[in-house]
Amino acid sequence: MAEKMMIQFDHVTKKFDGETILRDISFDIERGKFYTLLGPSGCGKTTILRLIAGFLEPTEGTLTFDGQLVNKIPPNKRQVNTVFQDYALFPHLNVFENVAFGLRINKLASKEIAPRVKEALHFVNLDGYQNREISDLSGGQKQRVAIARAIVNRPQVLLLDEPLSALDLKLRTAMQFELRQLQRRLGITFIFVTHDQEEALAMSDEIFVLNQGKIEQSGSPRSIYDEPINRFVADFIGESNIIPGKMPQDRVVSFAGKTFNCVDQGFNKNESVEVVIRPEDLELKQRGEGLLQVRVESQLFRGVHYEIIGKDEAGNSWMIHSTKSAKINDEIGLYFEPEAIHIMRHGESEEDFDRRLESYEGADHD
Amino acid sequence: MVKKRTWASIYLFCVFVVLYLPIFYLMFYSFNKAGTMTHFTGFTLDWYKEVFSDKRLIVIVIDTVIVALLSSVISTALGVVGALAVYSTKRRSAKNALLSLNNILMVSPDVIIGASFLILFTLIGIKLGFVSVLLAHIAFSVPIVVLMVLPKLQEMSPTFIDAARDLGARRRDVLLKVVLPFITPGIFAGFFMALTYSLDDFAVTFFVTGNGFSTLSVEIYSRARQGISMSVNALSTLIFLITLAIVLVYYFFSNGIGKAKSYSGGRRV
Repeated sequence: MAEKMMIQFDHVTKKFDGETILRDISFDIERGKFYTLLGPSGCGKTTILRLIAGFLEPTEGTLTFDGQLVNKIPPNKRQVNTVFQDYALFPHLNVFENVAFGLRINKLASKEIAPRVKEALHFVNLDGYQNREISDLSGGQKQRVAIARAIVNRPQVLLLDEPLSALDLKLRTAMQFELRQLQRRLGITFIFVTHDQEEALAMSDEIFVLNQGKIEQSGSPRSIYDEPINRFVADFIGESNIIPGKMPQDRVVSFAGKTFNCVDQGFNKNESVEVVIRPEDLELKQRGEGLLQVRVESQLFRGVHYEIIGKDEAGNSWMIHSTKSAKINDEIGLYFEPEAIHIMRHGESEEDFDRRLESYEGADHD
Repeated sequence: MVKKRTWASIYLFCVFVVLYLPIFYLMFYSFNKAGTMTHFTGFTLDWYKEVFSDKRLIVIVIDTVIVALLSSVISTALGVVGALAVYSTKRRSAKNALLSLNNILMVSPDVIIGASFLILFTLIGIKLGFVSVLLAHIAFSVPIVVLMVLPKLQEMSPTFIDAARDLGARRRDVLLKVVLPFITPGIFAGFFMALTYSLDDFAVTFFVTGNGFSTLSVEIYSRARQGISMSVNALSTLIFLITLAIVLVYYFFSNGIGKAKSYSGGRRV
C-alpha cells in the first residue's frame, strides 16, 4: 500500500493575501495512474498543481511524496515535471536544446544526452525535428516538444496544466488519445488539469471534481457521471435534469406528481431529495405511453441527436437527447428505466455517499 | 491610392532633406580648398590631413572613445541589474516609484544633470577630468539601459522561469540560461544607445571636465567659438560616418541575428 501511495495531501489549505484558495484538502495520488483535476476556473485546480510542482507552499497542512514531507522543497529538487499551458518553450533554443535543457542542468554527459532527447522526441512522434527552431513549429508540435522536454527527465509524476486548451478541436481530440497512450507506455503518474469535462471523462483513471477550493467528488469517470454526489457535479459533468422529489420508501421515489421505482436506498422515510436523469436516458414515446407526459417547447438539432426541451404537468422542465425528432407543442410520452434514476441527498458528504452506495450495490450483486 | 502614396513619399523626402541638408552642406565644404563655407573653389583633402596631423585632436578622439566604451559597458552591466531589480519588485507602488526615479533622470535637462554632478564632484573632492567624466557618463547612461532592457523582461512569459525551475535549474542557471539569453537583444540595444549618448554628449561633459581632459564635442565647441576652420567640418564628417557605422552595426545585431537564426532550421512542414 505504501508503495502505491506517492503523493499525499493532508488537510492542505492555501491562502493568498488572506483569500482562501484551497480549503482543507486531503487526497492521495497513486503510482502509475492518470488523474484529472476538473473544475471551473478559479476552483483551485491549478493551485494544487503548483503545490505539487513546488512553486507554492501550503499555508496549512502537509504535502508528502512517498511519505516524505516536501512542503518546503523547491521545484528544482522535486522529481516532478510540468507541461505548461503556454508550453513555455525557450525561444532562444532549438527543439533539441529545449528538450535537453533539464539534462544539461543536471550535468549529464553529452553522449548520454543525445539518445535521451531522441528517445523523448520519438515518444511524442517528433522524430527528425531536433534542429527546428521553436518559432517554426505549429501549436500541436510545440505541445509535443513541451511534453518531450518534461518526460526526458524521467519524472515520477507529470503535471499537465490545461495543455490542450490552445489547440483546435480536432487536434485536441487526437492529443487526448495520444496523451492517454503515452501515459500507459511510460507507466508514470499523470496529473492533468482541465475545465473540459469531456477531456476528463475520456482520459482519466480517476477524476477529482473541484469547486471553490474543495473536492466535491472523486472517482472513476463512470461513477462520477452515473452517480454525481450533488447538483454541482451533476451539472458540471454532462447535461442533466435535476428535479426535486421525495423518497416514500427505499427503491421508490416520487417526483412530478407521480411515483416511480428506482434502485437507490438508505434514505429516511419521506426524505426530500434531488432526482437526476440524464437527457440521453429519456426515451421518446407516443402520447399517452411511457411514464411521464410532457409538452415539447423547443428543439435543437445537435448533429448526433436532437435536444428537445419539454415541460411536464407539474411544471418541471425536461431536456431530452434523442435521435428521433418531435414537433413543437406536441404532447409526448417519456420512458426511463429505474436504473436511469439517480437520487442525490441534500448536503451529503462524500464518505457518507460512498458508504450508502456500497451498502446496497454490494447487495445487488448477490 | 497611388496618388496618396506619392504625396506621402514626397513629404517624407522633404523631411529628410531638411534634416540632412545641413549635414551634407557641412560635409561638402570640408573638401573646399578656399577654407570657407561660401565659395567652393576646388577639391582638397587638406582639412582631413590637418585633422590627422593634429596630435591633440587624436588624443581627444581616443579619450572620447575610451570614455564611451567604458561608460557604456559599465552602465550596461549596472542597467541590466537595475532592470532585473525593477522587474522582480513585487509591490506595485515600489515598482512605479523606482521606474519614476529612473525616468526623471531621462527627462531632466542635461544642463541640470551636469551642474549637479559638478557640485557633487567638487563636494566629495573628485578631481575633474577623466574619472569625473566617466562617472557622469555612466550615471546618465544607466537609466537608458534600464529603459531598453525592461520591456524585454516584461515581454518574457513568467512561465519561462517556472519551466526552468521545474526542469531543475537553480536561480543562477535560470538567470544565465533563460533570462539573459532572452533579453540579449535589449542588452545590445541598451549598450549601443549608451554608446551613442556618451559619444555625442556635450552639456554634461562640459560641466564636469577639467584641465587637460576633453571630449570631441567639447573640443569642437571650443574650436567653433574661435572661428570656423574647415578642419572642424572634416572632423564632423568623420564623426558622422562613424556614427552611421555604429547604427548599421546596431541594426545588424537587432535584426540580422534573429532572422538568420530562425531560418536555419528549415521550412515548416
